Amino acid sequence: MKKHTMRCPEILDHICEELDTKISSAKCREIKRHLSQCPNCTAYLDSLKKTIRLYKTYPDKKVPQKTREQLFAVLKLKA
Amino acid sequence: MIAQLSEQEIIKRAQNGDERAFTEIVKRYERLVYSFAFKVCRDSDKASETWQDTFVNVYRKLHQFDGRSKFTTWLYSVVVNSCRMKRRQRKLDQASISIDSPELSHDHAGGDNEGHTVQTIPSWKDTPLDDVMDKELRMLLDSAIQKLPYDYRVVFVLRDVEGLSAEETGKILKLSVPAVKSRLRRARVFLRERLNPYMAI
Repeated sequence: MKKHTMRCPEILDHICEELDTKISSAKCREIKRHLSQCPNCTAYLDSLKKTIRLYKTYPDKKVPQKTREQLFAVLKLKA
Repeated sequence: MIAQLSEQEIIKRAQNGDERAFTEIVKRYERLVYSFAFKVCRDSDKASETWQDTFVNVYRKLHQFDGRSKFTTWLYSVVVNSCRMKRRQRKLDQASISIDSPELSHDHAGGDNEGHTVQTIPSWKDTPLDDVMDKELRMLLDSAIQKLPYDYRVVFVLRDVEGLSAEETGKILKLSVPAVKSRLRRARVFLRERLNPYMAI
């Protein structure tokens, strides 16, 4: 039987850092080892990444002209 | 000509009362501020108010910027504070729900003593992002983000969307790095779980 030194709930606790860093710390290596053996955690991480990408790709909003004009009027500045 | 000046020089001039330099600051950073405000507020009117408040505060408080942090870090903290003041006025916080417990409410965290999971979670692997980026999903994400309590939403946007480091985010929000990480983790799980019924076909 393969021994998991870190269990799924602990892996999830650290997934935050796994997503953030490219470092190869012992903890990160252990997470990667766990992920390679655990389809559940892999699916979880994959879906988290997709959620983030989805939000990142929201279309950029432009500042409404009226909003800008009001600011310059309040500050008595020329636009 | 003013448009070609370095950020440092523009700030210095604006701090000395050069109005054209201040206008140039607005021009350079207006999109960053609006996009961030919109992502945190999820509402055009609130984003516009926050945007205006932010630049009014930048105008009034620019002399306080001492150049020890990046200008954008300082700017984000002005946005966050403007947003916080606005929220206090509106008393919106009541609408927030707690996501502090139970921890993660993992849909797959149940396991036996060996650490083997006993439930499976739906994988999104086979759902290409392009296929799912339709209006329905965006609306669902909007609704999930609106339900995400403000304190978590702002961490999620700063870290994951704006791409700031945990240290920078902590500085802006006056939080420790572990607190930033913990809020980010909960925010991600919260959003992910609310999108799950749609993503897991």
